[in-house]
Amino acid sequence: MNGLLSSDPAGVAGTWVAALLTIVVFGRLLGERRVFGLAQYLLAGLATGYLLVLAVREVLVPRLVEPLLHNAGARPALWPAVPLVLALAGAAYLPRRVAGVPVAILVGGIAAFALGGAVVGTVLPQLAGAIVAPGRPATVVNGLIALLISALVLVSFLHGVPRRRVTVGAAAAGRWLVIGGLGAWLGYLLVSRLALLVDRVGFLLFDWLGIGR
Amino acid sequence: MSNDRSWRARSRGWLAAIALLAALAGALLVGSPAGLQLPNPDHSAVSQLRSAIAGIPANGTVLVAFDPDIGTYPEIRFAVRAVIDDLISRRARLAIVSYTPEGRALALAEIARLVDGGTPAGRVLDLGFRTGAEAALVTSVASIVPDSASGALADALRSRGGGLRAFDLALIVAGVDLGPRSWVEQVGTRVPGLPLVAVAPTSLRPELEPYRASGQLDGLLGTLRDDAAYAASVEPGGAHRPPASLAILVGMLAALAVLLQVGSRNIQARVRRAFDRRERW
Repeated sequence: MNGLLSSDPAGVAGTWVAALLTIVVFGRLLGERRVFGLAQYLLAGLATGYLLVLAVREVLVPRLVEPLLHNAGARPALWPAVPLVLALAGAAYLPRRVAGVPVAILVGGIAAFALGGAVVGTVLPQLAGAIVAPGRPATVVNGLIALLISALVLVSFLHGVPRRRVTVGAAAAGRWLVIGGLGAWLGYLLVSRLALLVDRVGFLLFDWLGIGR
Repeated sequence: MSNDRSWRARSRGWLAAIALLAALAGALLVGSPAGLQLPNPDHSAVSQLRSAIAGIPANGTVLVAFDPDIGTYPEIRFAVRAVIDDLISRRARLAIVSYTPEGRALALAEIARLVDGGTPAGRVLDLGFRTGAEAALVTSVASIVPDSASGALADALRSRGGGLRAFDLALIVAGVDLGPRSWVEQVGTRVPGLPLVAVAPTSLRPELEPYRASGQLDGLLGTLRDDAAYAASVEPGGAHRPPASLAILVGMLAALAVLLQVGSRNIQARVRRAFDRRERW
């Protein structure tokens, strides 16, 4: 049972709506497109409405409007946010140079955080973790195998470089290793999606129909 | 003629889909036989997570970063609830925050479930939704308790600085958008003393396993079998049960059948092409 919907009238109504929509989505498997399309529109509309409410209630009002209304002088850093938010909201009607400023700040900021974090938090620590220290033979063998696989896979990404026979063989082996890795990942995905399908069928049986509770 | 053939092919697809759903429903109703176990017999992931949780002091504070996807949350829901119940039973105090809109919707539902279930109000604090993805994670290091938050837990967090250093553990309930990798990169490097543990859908496991192996994540439940093992270890036969193992087995057999069918079709086509070539010669 998902336990998200209570047993009061609102919860019962929610369970029914969820069950009917689940059946509609399953109906796509039987070729029903029109009602399935309506369910997609419903999802898109609800998601848009939810995002709007979330942005207004949990971001704009408590973090921008209220602090400025109560004590505007105490938070000067918030003032530049006002024209940026207005420029984003009116992006469809403003010249591209004006509307592009908040977008550029947004993309630049996120990219800077992501890139810096990736180098300091992933590349360097993972490089350090991959260095094979002399220790137990099993650890050394493991490390050497990881090194060999990484090297072969990297060689398989060499394009447009004159190759010798050894390089061609290594690249082919690397490609097969990539395919093997992708296959293993798809296996993980299969188990993941199966769990979701089983959960939906269980929802229809146990939460909605009340069978086997 | 071709219309008739395509209708027959389509009806075969419909029948297969109905048969799969019926088989899954049957497997769920029958229940799993005793010999078929979903929990992972290798308890290393479970032990690692449990030892990280055991390191929380009495009345410790745990930040629950609740950012799963609506699409994949059902896979990890039972494990997330088992971990949260485990934390509450150890008298930990939970502060729940979300950095993604989907996570916020699910966090609200789970907070309502906790309150309805009788969790004392002082043990759970809603820190709300924070925009800005990675930038929001960085600003949370200095300040995560909103001005509007009130109560003993909010005051306790403010007295310890009001940022991520005020917590004894961070539990990351992960989705695809902003997951443990971002936490390791943005928070792990700035607050190295904060243990990070995660519950993630299986599809994220290949990405996250290196962080667990390097010790950047102090605990990770990243597969359905590890999730099931954890739930069984904290409350055997309890309320938060994994999907029935028989249903998962039925689904996997169906997937194998599809793979075999596609594979045999490819082999048939190759053999036919080879024969055609030989005849032309």
